[in-house]
Amino acid sequence: MTKSRIKTWLLMLPGAGTLLSLVLLPLSLLLLFSLVTGNQISLSGALSFKNYLNIFEQGLFGPLMWKSIRMGLLVTASSILIGYPVAYGLAKVVKPRWRNFLVVMIIIPFFTSQLLLIYSLMVMLQSQGPVMTFLALFGLDPTRSILYSNTAVYLILLYQFLPYMVLSLYSSLVKIDDNIVFAARSMGASRIRVFIVIILPLTAPALFSGIILVFIPVAGSFVESNLAGGTKGMMIGSLIDSNFSVSLNMGRGCALCVLFLLIMSVLTFALQRAIRYLEGRRL
Amino acid sequence: MKKRAPWLKLIMVLTYLFLFAPIIVVMVMSFNTSQYGTLPFVFTTGWYQRLLSGVGLGKATWLSIWFSLLVTLAGSLVGILTSLGLRRMPETWARRFISWLNLAVIIPWLVLGIALLMIFNFVGLGRSYTGMFLGNFVCVLPYVVMLVYPALLALDKNVEYAARTLGASPRRTLVTIVLPALLPAILTSSLMAFMVCFNNFVIQYYLAPFGIRTLPMEIYNLVRVGYKPDINALATIMILVSVSLVLLVNRLGYGSKKGFF
Repeated sequence: MTKSRIKTWLLMLPGAGTLLSLVLLPLSLLLLFSLVTGNQISLSGALSFKNYLNIFEQGLFGPLMWKSIRMGLLVTASSILIGYPVAYGLAKVVKPRWRNFLVVMIIIPFFTSQLLLIYSLMVMLQSQGPVMTFLALFGLDPTRSILYSNTAVYLILLYQFLPYMVLSLYSSLVKIDDNIVFAARSMGASRIRVFIVIILPLTAPALFSGIILVFIPVAGSFVESNLAGGTKGMMIGSLIDSNFSVSLNMGRGCALCVLFLLIMSVLTFALQRAIRYLEGRRL
Repeated sequence: MKKRAPWLKLIMVLTYLFLFAPIIVVMVMSFNTSQYGTLPFVFTTGWYQRLLSGVGLGKATWLSIWFSLLVTLAGSLVGILTSLGLRRMPETWARRFISWLNLAVIIPWLVLGIALLMIFNFVGLGRSYTGMFLGNFVCVLPYVVMLVYPALLALDKNVEYAARTLGASPRRTLVTIVLPALLPAILTSSLMAFMVCFNNFVIQYYLAPFGIRTLPMEIYNLVRVGYKPDINALATIMILVSVSLVLLVNRLGYGSKKGFF
C-alpha cells in the first residue's frame, strides 16, 4: 500500500469506526436482542421467536403500524401538495431581494427545539386558544378543542416536517433553468403539462429525499402523539417506547423495532423504484 | 414574461402564516399576565423573572450547553477528518459512505436510541454520560460531513498544487490554504451540530444517566404537565437565540445560496 493510501485510511478511521460501531453494529444487533425474551441482555438464555409470537398475540402491532403509515402518508402527501407551490414560488416567482430572507425563515425550525414547536402549536389549538376563539366566530364551541386528537397530531407533524419538504424541493427547483420553462410555455404547453413533463422529472431525486425526510420520521414519531394525541393518539412509536419506559420488556421492544425497520425498508425500496420510473419518464 | 401568479403567492402567505403564527402567539403570550393564555392581554414581564429565578431549569440549561459544546467539538473534528479522507477517495465511494452515514439521521431517533441503549447495556456502559455523548455524537456527525464535504469538493485544487509546488509541506498547505477556505462551512456545520445536539430530545431521553435531565427533557416534562407561561418565556428566548444563529449562518454565506441539502 502506498503512503497516500495509508493516509486516506487514517483520515477515514474515526468516521468509519463511528459508522460501524454506533450505527451499523447497534442496528444489526437489534435483530439478535429481539430473539432474547424479557429483560435479560446477558444473552445467556436460549434464543427464540417468543417476542414475535407475543407481539402478534397482543394484536396491537398491525393496527398501530397501519395507523402510523397512514399518518405518514397523509403528512407526506400534504407536505408535497403545499411544498411544491411554496418551493416553486421561492425559486422562481419571488424577487431575489426577498428570496434570501424567506428561505432563511424556512430554515429557522431546523435550529429550534422540536419540543417548543410542538408546544407552540398546542398553545394555538388549546381550548379558548387563538384557533378555537377564531372558530367560535363561525358558531363553534370555543371550549371544545381539537387538541388531544389525531387531527392535532397530524397538524403538529405537518408543522414540524413541512420545512424539510420545502427546502428539499427548493434546492432542486432553483437549479432548473428558467428558459426551459419559458420555452415549453411559449410553445403552448399548459402549466400542468409543464409541471408533469419538465418539473416533476427534474425534481424527482429531491422529491425522493423530501419524502424520506418526512415519511420515515413521521411514521416513527412518538413524542407528538404522547403529548397531543390524547387517549386514542397511540402510534407505533408510542408502542415501541412503552416497552422501554413503561412495561420494561426490552426484548419485545427490540422485536417491534426490527419489524418497523423491515417495513420501512420495503416501503423505501418501493418508493425508490417509483421515483426512478418518474425520473426516466421524459416525453 | 410577467411573473404574477396570485394563487401561488396566496399559498405562500398562508404557509408562512401556518409556520410562524404559533411562534408569534407564544412570544406575545409570554408577556401576558393571564396564566392560561387567554385574553384580554395585560402586559407583564413576570414570567421571565420567574423563569430566570427558577434554579431547576438553569441547571439543565448549563448541562445542555456544556454537553452540546463537547459533542460539537468532537463532531466537527471527526467530521472534518472524514471529509478530508472522503475527498481522497473516488467520488462514488464517498457518496456511498455518506448515504450510509446518513442512516443516523434518517432512521427515527427512537429506533437508533433504543439500538444504542441495548448495545451500551450489553457492553456494560448502560445509561451514562459517555453513552449519551456517543449517541449525540453519531447524530451530529452526518450534518458536519453533509456540509463540509461539498465545500471541500468545491475548492480549487490548483491553489493547493501551487502551494505544494512552491515548497509548502502537506501540513502547511492544509493549515494555510484548505482550512481557512473551509472556515465558513466549518462554522456553519458547528452551529448546526450544536443546535441538533442541544435540541435532541429523543436520544437524550433514552441515553441520559438516571436522574439527570437535560433541557429538552425538562421541557418535555413541563409540556406534559400542561400550559405554563414560563415555558412561553423560555420558548421566546430559545427561538430568538435560534433566529440569531440562523442569521449568523446566513451571514457566513450559507443559507439560500448553497443550500443545506
